[in-house]
Amino acid sequence: MRIRRTKQIPNLRVYTVLAVMLGSQLILLGALWRLQVANVAKFEDRIQIQSLRRVRLAGIRGKIYDRNDLCLADNRPAYSIAMFLENVRKPGPWSKTVDSAMQVMQTVADATGLEPAVDEDTIRKHTRLRLPLPLILWQDIGPQPMARFVEQAGDEPGVDIYTRATRSYPYSPYTSHLIGYVGRADPGKLNETERYNYYLPEMGGRAGLEKLFDPFLRGEAGGAVVQIDVSGYHHGELARREPTRGGDLRLTLDMEVQLLAHQALGTNCGAVVVLDPNNGDVLAMLSGPSYDANRFVPYITSADWRRLSDNPDKPLLNRAVAGTYPPGSTFKPLVGLAAATADPNAISTVYDSPSTFRIGRRVVHTHGHGEVDMRQAIEQSANVYFFKTALACGLEPIIEQSLAIGLGQKTGVEVDYEAGGIVPDTNWMRTAGKGGWTDGDTCNLAIGQGYLTTTPLQMAMVTATIANGGYLYRPRLVQAYRAPGDDHYTDQPVRRVGKMDWPQSALTTVRGGMRDVVMAEKGTGTRAAVEGLDFAAKTGTAEYWTTVNGRRVTKNHTWMIAFAPFDRPQYAVAFVIEDGVSGGRTVGPRLQILMKGLLGKMESEGRIQTSETGPLRSEIRDQRSEVRTQESGNRNSAILTGAKAQVSDSQLPVSLFAGQGGAS
Amino acid sequence: MIQRIRRFDWTQFGTIVVLLLLSVIFIFSARYQSGDVSLSGKALQQVVWALIGLGCYAGAAAFDYRRLAEIHWWVYAGAMLSLLLVFAFPEKNNAHRWIPMPGFDLQPSEFAKIALVFSLAAVLSLPSTDVDEPVTFLKAALIAAVPFFLIVVEPDLGTSMVLVPVTVALLFCAGAPARPIVILIGTGIGALILIGVWLTWLPDTCPFLTDYQKSRVLVYLNVNQDPLGAGWNKLQSQIAVGSGGLFGKGYLKGTQNILGFLPRTVAPTDFIYSVVAEETGFAGSGVLLALYATISVRCMRTAVKAIDLFGRLLAVGIGVLIFSHVFVNIAMTVGLMPITGLPLPLMSYGGSFMVTTMGALGLVQSVYLRRRKV
Repeated sequence: MRIRRTKQIPNLRVYTVLAVMLGSQLILLGALWRLQVANVAKFEDRIQIQSLRRVRLAGIRGKIYDRNDLCLADNRPAYSIAMFLENVRKPGPWSKTVDSAMQVMQTVADATGLEPAVDEDTIRKHTRLRLPLPLILWQDIGPQPMARFVEQAGDEPGVDIYTRATRSYPYSPYTSHLIGYVGRADPGKLNETERYNYYLPEMGGRAGLEKLFDPFLRGEAGGAVVQIDVSGYHHGELARREPTRGGDLRLTLDMEVQLLAHQALGTNCGAVVVLDPNNGDVLAMLSGPSYDANRFVPYITSADWRRLSDNPDKPLLNRAVAGTYPPGSTFKPLVGLAAATADPNAISTVYDSPSTFRIGRRVVHTHGHGEVDMRQAIEQSANVYFFKTALACGLEPIIEQSLAIGLGQKTGVEVDYEAGGIVPDTNWMRTAGKGGWTDGDTCNLAIGQGYLTTTPLQMAMVTATIANGGYLYRPRLVQAYRAPGDDHYTDQPVRRVGKMDWPQSALTTVRGGMRDVVMAEKGTGTRAAVEGLDFAAKTGTAEYWTTVNGRRVTKNHTWMIAFAPFDRPQYAVAFVIEDGVSGGRTVGPRLQILMKGLLGKMESEGRIQTSETGPLRSEIRDQRSEVRTQESGNRNSAILTGAKAQVSDSQLPVSLFAGQGGAS
Repeated sequence: MIQRIRRFDWTQFGTIVVLLLLSVIFIFSARYQSGDVSLSGKALQQVVWALIGLGCYAGAAAFDYRRLAEIHWWVYAGAMLSLLLVFAFPEKNNAHRWIPMPGFDLQPSEFAKIALVFSLAAVLSLPSTDVDEPVTFLKAALIAAVPFFLIVVEPDLGTSMVLVPVTVALLFCAGAPARPIVILIGTGIGALILIGVWLTWLPDTCPFLTDYQKSRVLVYLNVNQDPLGAGWNKLQSQIAVGSGGLFGKGYLKGTQNILGFLPRTVAPTDFIYSVVAEETGFAGSGVLLALYATISVRCMRTAVKAIDLFGRLLAVGIGVLIFSHVFVNIAMTVGLMPITGLPLPLMSYGGSFMVTTMGALGLVQSVYLRRRKV
């Protein structure tokens, strides 16, 4: 390759480039001179107050409302007394400043009557680590010390009232399981791109919606650039970026219904779920016993925590979604619908329902109901009728319908921990090591016992689906959300996922049977009946084994599911009480309280005509026959199965027919 | 041999060695505050990189640069290929800039800059090339455009921008007509002003800049925009430089740097100059500036003395490339320019850039060694 000689091009151009470069460097030198030397006065000041600190200001948490804009999770100001150390500093060694701080604190303590809450060591630590920040002497003081402070110690140098937002739950014991709570968070672990020198304490969601929607509720942190002087004391604030508010949530929950549910459940261990059958909205979801979420803010004492976590009644457990129970006889309507879907003649089939029934080698003793059809079988909760129905239609339709309606899987409602329950089919039996599927297992399943477990929410969903004619909605707890800065809420979609393929005739029969449970003479749930309200229900009693003082005893989980009003249902209810007598006797009167309340609510809101009353219960109620039917029907089912419920721990279910259960 | 040593540009080499020593000393200072006082820290790693760089320097100086003219297309193709290769690796800090290697990350855009200088110098020095023809202009523009856009989409706007002065200077020194070059420079400055105005008044409608780049430009235009966010580094860097005064606070005593107001991760890399300026004041930062001016002068002197046009253009290209980095980096440190991630040659912590800078300066030495005998 030949290369041209350089002589053809004058050196002048190279010198021009060099001149441009050197000129640019002179500009840089000028800039340096200006910055470092020319503005001597300005920078001497800077050398005195040369250091800036970045302080992170926590975002303001969004609020949570119920459907009527009642605030369930609120921010309230917490008044603290803070000491600003730059005002109490003393020349000389640090210990002098610490002594002076202690003196000031003692003065304030005398004036307000508050016990000193920080010791000398804390102050010393504060001077070392967080000197430019105010030192909180007393947190969240009440109105009385506050008044005394303002009156008597307000002009004490270096101390002042310091306001900070804190979380409060005005309806706490009733909403704790849903809303959850916040606790002290460590914003340093948030992995933010911006680094700060100091972090002010912040609340982070620890349970329930607070945890589930934490990033949405939290809001965006702001920050302040604080100037400190040469000794590290606060000197002034240079710049500030205000923190922004987080988003708000509006729940489908109706506090009125929630409080009614609480009233109905009383002090029992159990759960109540009320859904709107027309869209799957969760109107109430209650688990008892509950706890006070305000005790978790800003942090729970270890004694309180131990009291909650060691409580045998498990107040922290949200039984409505995390408690799994065998549904007992409340499962029968679904069995009836499954059988009728497989064979439309099933609804009119009449079976003799005697008091003894033989499956394989085993003879089952239960209460006899004589010749009954499906409607009567539901009304009276006739076990043998459903054995025969299930054996006639086979296992598959029941399993298929259970899975299709959403049992055995999580509903996806907005809670932080949900159980799915179990729908035992032959595959499950094999993988769980329970041996082969027997006719006995089919019979157990037909009356909602054995290995089948459901959550109260799932049973409320089943009830809602029966109530609305087969439309399947996934429950929805968050109705709408409002992003920070938005004026209007954005609705969450209603989660309609399908329609059950039940024949209309079957639906009419089963709904009729459920109506008879409350409204007819032989119904097992007549104790729930409410004057003036036409509604439908189903009782259930599921027996389980448990150990009390080393002895195995049987106990009952008692259920009722219900929907009201019968013609145009607006409420679908699932009601569980642990350790009850029977569905009709234990839950019935409690369901009545809830239904009365709901009737009153519907009347006052004009959603029901008072004239539209059903037959007067008092006229047709035969107390004795009711009790007999109810006891025999349910008690026998318990004897039959000897099955137990799972309440979150893993006692294994036992089945009589599989030959593993404790036969009584 | 003796003759070779006599012909060696000792001034250039001496300046480089002094800069490398300063680099290790001040990287140690920058890391001092995070407790990294052991010799196994970044300062020691920088010693290793400096030694590798010196090896490259020696190799490049011994290499006859004229042979580069024959293989420059291979170098260029290799560099472009490695620029494409970065997209095959996962993003880091929202950009595809690095190829992960055992122990360090390779930054191919550093090599692409040098490859561009090789190819431009070789093409413009071809006897068949007539610099008065517009087609030569287009050819040079095309050679520069490929790495430019490959680096822009990484995205690394700062690095791609230094390719512009290099291309313009090479065209100019190759003897291209002055008028189109002046027009080009004028248009470029006009475009920059336009972007500045656009961003100030209608920041949301400006195309092709990412939010991150927009915020940096906006911060440059108005420091008070967000003192906690994008403005933080600039403000802190200015305060650090300003608080240095005439003679500085003394070695290891720069409080801005030591207390961590300069983000610990960038202090030894892009903001090393502010560490020097704070600790040694105007005197020290001025000396540092003079050292870089010496490098510029020696490169241009090599260009004037080069035996052929290729050697001249090589020296000019490398000189301008290094100068551009120095200028942009220091201008950003003192707040004259928006913050871009450009390192300070020979001072900043980092491997790829150290190796390419030292190799390039070695080539300048190679040109000088084979200069005309006056």
